[in-house]
Amino acid sequence: MSVSVNIDKVVKKFGEDKVIDKLSLDIQKGELFTLLGPSGCGKTTLLRMIIGFHSIDDGQIKIDDKVINHIPVNKRKMGMVFQNYAIFPHMTVEDNIAFGLKVNKIGKEEMTERINDILKTVRIEEHKTKKPENLSGGQQQRIALARALVIHPKVLLMDEPLSNLDAKLRIEMRNAIKNIQQEVGITTVYVTHDQEEALAISDRIAVMNKGIIQQIGKPEEIYSRPANVFVSQFIGTSNIIKGIIKKKEDGLYVHLNDMYSVKMNNLKQDEIVDKQEVLVSVRPQEFIITNKESGIKGEIDSTMFLGLNTHYFVNLDSGERVEVIQDSEEEEILPEGKDINLNIKSKKINIYHADTKETLIKAGGHDEQK
Amino acid sequence: MNKNKFNLWNISSVIILLLMLTFIIYPLFLILGKGIFNSETGAFTLSHFIHFFERKFYYITILNSFKVTIVSTILAVIIGLPLAYMLRKIKIFGSKFIQIIVIVSYISPPFIGAYAWIQLLGRSGVITKFINDTFQLNFDGIYGFAGIVLVLTLQSFPLVFIYIMGALKNLDNSLVEAAESLGYSNFQRMTKIIIPLIMPTILASSLLVFMRVIADFGTPMLIGEGYRTMPVLIYQQFLSEVGGDAGFAAAIATIFVIITVTLFLLQRILSRQYSYSMSALKPMQAEPLSGTKNILSHIVVYFITFIGILPQLVVIFTSFLETSGGQVYTGRLSLENYKNILFDRDLNAIINTYKMGLYAIIIIIVIGIFISYLTVRKRNLMNSVIDTLSMFPFVIPGSVLGIALVFAFSDEPIFITGTILIMVIAFVIRRMPYTIRSSTAIISQISPSIEEAAISLGASETKTFYRIIVPMMLPGVLAGAIMSWVTILGELSASIILYSTETQTLAVSIYTEVIRGNFGNASAYSAVLTVTSILSLLIFFKLTGKKEVDL
Repeated sequence: MSVSVNIDKVVKKFGEDKVIDKLSLDIQKGELFTLLGPSGCGKTTLLRMIIGFHSIDDGQIKIDDKVINHIPVNKRKMGMVFQNYAIFPHMTVEDNIAFGLKVNKIGKEEMTERINDILKTVRIEEHKTKKPENLSGGQQQRIALARALVIHPKVLLMDEPLSNLDAKLRIEMRNAIKNIQQEVGITTVYVTHDQEEALAISDRIAVMNKGIIQQIGKPEEIYSRPANVFVSQFIGTSNIIKGIIKKKEDGLYVHLNDMYSVKMNNLKQDEIVDKQEVLVSVRPQEFIITNKESGIKGEIDSTMFLGLNTHYFVNLDSGERVEVIQDSEEEEILPEGKDINLNIKSKKINIYHADTKETLIKAGGHDEQK
Repeated sequence: MNKNKFNLWNISSVIILLLMLTFIIYPLFLILGKGIFNSETGAFTLSHFIHFFERKFYYITILNSFKVTIVSTILAVIIGLPLAYMLRKIKIFGSKFIQIIVIVSYISPPFIGAYAWIQLLGRSGVITKFINDTFQLNFDGIYGFAGIVLVLTLQSFPLVFIYIMGALKNLDNSLVEAAESLGYSNFQRMTKIIIPLIMPTILASSLLVFMRVIADFGTPMLIGEGYRTMPVLIYQQFLSEVGGDAGFAAAIATIFVIITVTLFLLQRILSRQYSYSMSALKPMQAEPLSGTKNILSHIVVYFITFIGILPQLVVIFTSFLETSGGQVYTGRLSLENYKNILFDRDLNAIINTYKMGLYAIIIIIVIGIFISYLTVRKRNLMNSVIDTLSMFPFVIPGSVLGIALVFAFSDEPIFITGTILIMVIAFVIRRMPYTIRSSTAIISQISPSIEEAAISLGASETKTFYRIIVPMMLPGVLAGAIMSWVTILGELSASIILYSTETQTLAVSIYTEVIRGNFGNASAYSAVLTVTSILSLLIFFKLTGKKEVDL
């Protein structure tokens, strides 16, 4: 039953301002696809183009190869879940869910059956006859989800559905959404600015910035091999430090300073010249605090103990400042002001072109071992 | 989203705009035209205006209007502000009830206040007689400047009171506590924190009072005697000039509109400049006082409330008094007055008031919903024009509107003077703003995603409007409509110009009975009007569970 969504070179202009310029994207049947990016990156605009609240100024959007550009919203048969739930306050839970069925002229018997089914799926059966004002945010969001799903939409669209919930409920609801989505098997487009939420919930993620897709991939790909500096910093925490690549007979080395370099086996050799300047992206847990002589020297500026691990903010001799994470259990806590030496886990780090900020790691580089 | 030019919204915008142009703008331009063009030659002339400013007999009315208005406005603030502060700050026994009484005294038409005070402090008023007998004085009753100021002050302080009550409710007590913790005394906290924060509200409400008072016709007409204000002059000139040259009345009306428009613009600028958005997490708590202070505050609050509601009590009481020949009270109770107005003559005045009021309020609600929806949600050039025009009736005094409608619709192609239709139109124009204002407020609170949700579920825009938007708006719409309704019942200044024997209303009947000296009948009519207003308000409170109205 599920459908694919093909977005082909779509353009959206607000006045002279091109918010989205020739953006293309393919969403596969039944997947939970997330548009992730900072506010103002165009993700909500794109979502609203898919449902039809925004017109498509150029290009086309296809559902199962059928162009939908000119189908009005109320005929598109897409379910949408809104950031503020948008529950009709003057109707009971049941009437809210029945609303879409009534306007679509579904028969009485089928209507009752469908409502009861969906109430069970989203687990709000006991609130059926209540007015929404008496329900919590999480329950309201479940009604919104039920109301969108009950019309058997082709695509489910969710616009920051968890951002109005408190932290604990957010995690509970994000698991619920994931489970319900898998149970129903519906193609879903999910918009969020919360990278952790995106990693947890998505089958695939498109990271967007300034109306342009930066990277599309599975959560683990996006986290471990960000395509550019923006993605590497937007997803999780990354320390960016300067380095130089030197070609040697036995391969490529990244020099982080005069005395410390690591050998890299997964670089795009053709795009690299000798002494090329690069940006090295190191996640805090990819540093090793070491006693070895060679390494990156620095001084611990502040220490933050967080139970499971300890964060150190280190001022490097080069003037750069980095964050380092160590397991609390394995190592003793180092005092502030201590001089330390850092090594890096070369298989994990990412290397970016200093000018284009694009990755220099080969595609699939994280699997490759020489 | 919807590129179709002929959708519901565009069509309703066009219809509303056409109605506004026909019934508001065209008549007003006619007035201006009649004021500045010679009716025979058609040549441009300022002679009417020169005529006006040449004679003290005429231009004195501008000064009179301003004197009366400024003094009444200041007094209204002086009474309304402390009363509101006391009710918020001090635990007063029966404060909920007091608030309702104040609202009731506010919704009653000013001319009933004038009439009631004539009965008390007029030439042969109860209190006047008592004072003259007791102190051997020759007090001739409170007419002229003092009378007008008395009536309009008592009529207006409730508005200031209601506004400031609202502002104080939104004032976070932490601000006051913060000042206290920084070492500010009680009096300093009042002058440095509270007054500055509610200043925008004080200004806004006093300008509203100003606008209402300056345009009031019934009060100066009844109690002003020789002290004439602009609305009175316009009315008198219009009546005496009918059939002759109406240009002079038109010129005065133009001058008057220029004054009110200026005031209105001033108010908009001021209210935009001085507004804080406040929402109190922790509103001020009323706390009980003890001893003399407690007794004194109760006396002050009860006394002001009593004086405010006194006119209503007086008309209801006197409506049950027997009169000889309708003029002089005999001192006995009877139902004779009611027999007179209900059985000895036709019931037209009463039936007309309800019938025309009902037509008007239905039109007001329907158009009001559309106007507020269009101006908030479908912002475009046409709807911006509608937005601006819908504020016009705030600015146009009733007597000017009355004359304008007569000028415009006494001849082909639209000849409706003297009909029910023209009365209903006048009611709609004058009282629509209350409903529009409260409807606009509620539609702004409804998230656009509610509509989008309905549309995404398959409902058309029209269906979404009727099934989702209108039901959600209704409580807010009704809060304004109740004010439209009770003020329609008491509408006098336009009705007095537009009414015919077939379309006479309660308000007009009261006025004419008072002028004729038939106090018995006037009281009975007033009682019917007052009781209807109070009942409407109480039913509204009961239905909505509210204790407030949108003024």
